[in-house]
Amino acid sequence: MPSLNLLIQSAVSGVLLGGLYGLIGLGLGLSWGFLGQINLSHFAFVFLSAYLSFEFVNKLGIDPLVCLIIFPPIFFFIGIFLHWLIRRFRITPFNSLLLTFGLTVIIESFIQWIWTADFVKLQTTYGDKKASIAGIYLPFTESMAFIIAVLVAVLVHLVMKYTDLGKAVRAISQDPKMATAFGIPQAKISLGIAGLCTALAALGGVCVAMIYTLNPSQMYSWIGVIFAVVMLGGLGNPFGPLIAGVVIGVSEAVTMVFVNPSWAPIVSFSLLIALLLFRPGKL
Amino acid sequence: MLNLKNIQVSYGPAKALWDVSLHVNEGELVCVVGPNAAGKTTLINAIAGLNPLVGGSMVFNEKDMKGVAPHEFCNLGIALVPESRRLFVEMSVLENLELGSYIPRAKALRQQSLEMVLELFPILKQKINQVSGSLSGGQQQMVAIGRALMAKPSLLLLDEPSLGLAPAIVIDMFDAIKKVNSEGISVLLVEQNVSMALEIASRGYVLEEGRVVAEGAANDLLNSPEIQKAYLGIHD
Amino acid sequence: MKQSNYALVIIAGILLAALPWLNIPAFWQSFLYIVFYWGVLAVSWNLFSGVSGYFSFGHGAFFGIGMYTVAYFCGHLELPFLPILILSGLLAGFFGLLIGALVFRVKNVRGELFALLTLAVTFVIATIVLNTPIDGGPGVYLNSVAIPKLGPNAAASFYLMMLLLLIVSLLSAIWIYASKLGLGLSAIHDDEDAAEVMGVPTYRSKLIGLFISTYLAGMAGGIQALFVSYVTANETFSITVPLFVVLMSVLGGTRHWAGPLLGAIVITGIQYFFTVGDSALFGKMILGFILIVVILFIPNGLLGNFARSRAKKSSLQIVQDILKKNDLPQEKKAVSKTDQVLLQTKDLSKSFSGIKALQNVSLEIYQGEILGLLGPNGSGKSTFINVISGHYAATGGQKLFEGNDITALSAHQIAAKGITRTYQTPRPFNELTVMDNTRLVASYAGNVSLDEASELAYAALKQVGLEDKADSLPSDLNLHQRKFLEFARALAAKPKLLMLDEVLSGLTPSEINSSVELIQKIRSQGTTILFVEHVMSAVMALADRIVVLNHGQMIAKGLPADVMRDPEVMAAYLGKKA
Repeated sequence: MPSLNLLIQSAVSGVLLGGLYGLIGLGLGLSWGFLGQINLSHFAFVFLSAYLSFEFVNKLGIDPLVCLIIFPPIFFFIGIFLHWLIRRFRITPFNSLLLTFGLTVIIESFIQWIWTADFVKLQTTYGDKKASIAGIYLPFTESMAFIIAVLVAVLVHLVMKYTDLGKAVRAISQDPKMATAFGIPQAKISLGIAGLCTALAALGGVCVAMIYTLNPSQMYSWIGVIFAVVMLGGLGNPFGPLIAGVVIGVSEAVTMVFVNPSWAPIVSFSLLIALLLFRPGKL
Repeated sequence: MLNLKNIQVSYGPAKALWDVSLHVNEGELVCVVGPNAAGKTTLINAIAGLNPLVGGSMVFNEKDMKGVAPHEFCNLGIALVPESRRLFVEMSVLENLELGSYIPRAKALRQQSLEMVLELFPILKQKINQVSGSLSGGQQQMVAIGRALMAKPSLLLLDEPSLGLAPAIVIDMFDAIKKVNSEGISVLLVEQNVSMALEIASRGYVLEEGRVVAEGAANDLLNSPEIQKAYLGIHD
Repeated sequence: MKQSNYALVIIAGILLAALPWLNIPAFWQSFLYIVFYWGVLAVSWNLFSGVSGYFSFGHGAFFGIGMYTVAYFCGHLELPFLPILILSGLLAGFFGLLIGALVFRVKNVRGELFALLTLAVTFVIATIVLNTPIDGGPGVYLNSVAIPKLGPNAAASFYLMMLLLLIVSLLSAIWIYASKLGLGLSAIHDDEDAAEVMGVPTYRSKLIGLFISTYLAGMAGGIQALFVSYVTANETFSITVPLFVVLMSVLGGTRHWAGPLLGAIVITGIQYFFTVGDSALFGKMILGFILIVVILFIPNGLLGNFARSRAKKSSLQIVQDILKKNDLPQEKKAVSKTDQVLLQTKDLSKSFSGIKALQNVSLEIYQGEILGLLGPNGSGKSTFINVISGHYAATGGQKLFEGNDITALSAHQIAAKGITRTYQTPRPFNELTVMDNTRLVASYAGNVSLDEASELAYAALKQVGLEDKADSLPSDLNLHQRKFLEFARALAAKPKLLMLDEVLSGLTPSEINSSVELIQKIRSQGTTILFVEHVMSAVMALADRIVVLNHGQMIAKGLPADVMRDPEVMAAYLGKKA
């Protein structure tokens, strides 16, 4: 029977990890909820950002926190560009899933081509820092990811609730024709959302790089967890993915205390299947 | 101020409007009546910019509307109160009204417009933070009209405002519409409820199967044989 | 057409089977093996996913089940290969049925959600395999398993086994595309709800399709397991299989039975260019790029247009064959309103989250009559038709047809009983020809074979004047013709009760006249008609009786002239004065 300390430590790790899940899930959920696109390439961009962070930190000696600041704006514009390009073709939502699948494979191959399939790890002093409260360890990197996730969720929530822009976004997702009738420029705003989602992917990627060892095909194993997070938390809901992420993170962590860690993916994928069966459609 | 000449509009693969010409002068309250499937909603949506014209021309305030993007219609002064309200149902009354004044020129006058709308529909003051989807049909209609007024339009379009409302509420609604018109906003009203519409309008058009089959002063139209035939199929 | 395709495949198969004995270079034999392998996977995927539109991202799961069945029973338990191979197909098929049985019950899991769900299933199965004695981690070795002696050497045996499997897969695909099942799945692809209402048993059809698909995938896995002789979970359940089968089918064209095979040949060919080192990655990148290009520029695939023209030719052929026969059904003698009650509703009600769309509607429709259903906007007329046809379930009351209670029946069962409807905005199956659209309904709703249905369909098309357009696609027709196609579809099923929902809206006066004539003719041949309409001139000309709804309730019924002068009806339409 595992000790109480071990359980609490696992739960805490689960909470912190859940924050990261929520951060990555937010980007996916926003584009699904507001753009109607299931963007598989979100994962590819997270990993691209992660690998770029590795490159910048290990090879160029730049502080990872700097990456947190400079990557999102760059990815923002990449996201806008891609969305603009794809929009000219008017493809069905399902085909956009296939298309982003293709994009994911391209990015994954690109990553493997440049950085090989070997495992790599970003080296930074932050990696060793950890706080300790009542015997429970709070590693710096994971805690930082969690705090960023919370800040982002709060920010998005405030914008959605209190600014005209946020309200316009919500209006577009509820009734695009009526939003247009009142002068809301749906096309421009959609571009902005696409850019935001990619920027969020960039942010998540830097955090992933600081916490994990990287390997190109790993991006596919995140798919189950993040989709479960998004479906549980609700599309277009700023806090939903965060809360769902924490729930899933804790369940995974606690499960791993009792059984072999390689069973962990089953928790999220099974949850995803259950959700798809019992609560399909827009949540 | 609004002049439609021989317009044709499609609805999917079908032609919904074949050859419609009508005009609204500044300050007028004009109604368009006709049975179901006559094309009334298609007509209103075309004027609001949501349905493109496949033929004919539309001129608003001396501007040819051809090629104008849908989201620019509001800025030019046309506001829509659509069929079955179509509020942003998950948002509150206040948020709906705020969105009505999204465009910059309306946003500048937002506080003022808000007060005006709440004076017109006092019951909304208590409901201001309530989720609009939870209001009754009549109250939702008030919010829909209020939302359009927040856009500070020069032409207000209303699509079957009486639909699904109890008779007593319909009377209040039409009083409000009359009041709005008396303050200088031109109104184009599309209605299935002929008597009420022709009562507040000065002029009217009868639309049947995508064409105008009669037009004239409101009083003349009410008892005309064309209306009887269009609605009830009765020939004399 | 079908027969020549079968012959083509079998002949090509025999020719290819002879190759191992002709001493071709080993390179070609192994290249062809890989082509056959991907051919089986892609063709098996497409004959369900491509046809029905339920794009599964989980083909890898079923392939993997097949692989591990052989790995476990032959590798670990050392049982002989060939019987286990059969088992591998059966197990995969069984899991396919299991998943399908669960998933197809849920209404909203289509398109993207189905894709995600099947992807998730793959990962779950992979994790289970990895963590249990089935694999446990290190992988499974199969070097000690005896390879069946089918050819001059071991490689030839694999070649022949996979070739045989490919032939079986192709024959299955050809069969499906030409069969009643395939037509039903195509209809599901275009419009599942309409298909259900037109009589297609959607749940059952999807299960059958999925079973065939997963069975074949499982067997491919079984053969491949022995071929590679070392099976690992990571390789088996990687993203490669799902990606490639989708890519190959989309590239080749999902609407043609040979599309995935063509895609398999092209992609395998391209892959062979990039087999070494860095180029392998580059190859993968190219494939992702190809997927994107295909989605953007040739969404129907290389054979997409070819599939269309094939469908057209086939429809034309059907018409020609029927005309040659020269014994068209006799015109029945004229019928008019009788005293027999055909359809009766008792206090029928329908609410949608608080909104009462229908309230206690009790009416009778007599055999042979034309009943008009009128009412202002929002009065519940379309809801009434939707409830009768089974598209919506009633929330109260009963429906009786020919004296039997049909209240609880599903939509396709109601269609089979003889009640069909048309849609206000025509909902034809867009990728099927006019003839296919019509004979699909005739076959399923009328419960006859496809061949018989073709004759019924032709008769119906002739009745509405569309017999020359039998090989056209709905997108080639104008609105009037599309509405008449709706008529034809409804007629071909030889319904007892035909429900028309605003068929005349959007038509010119002369088109309205010809429609009115057609409706009268249809009635005179024995079909009872309920129609919802706003074009009053038509209503007056056609209806024997009229029922008026307002706010979901029936407010008048009787002879047209009487009803339209009823003060309550006039008030409902014209509005009360203040």
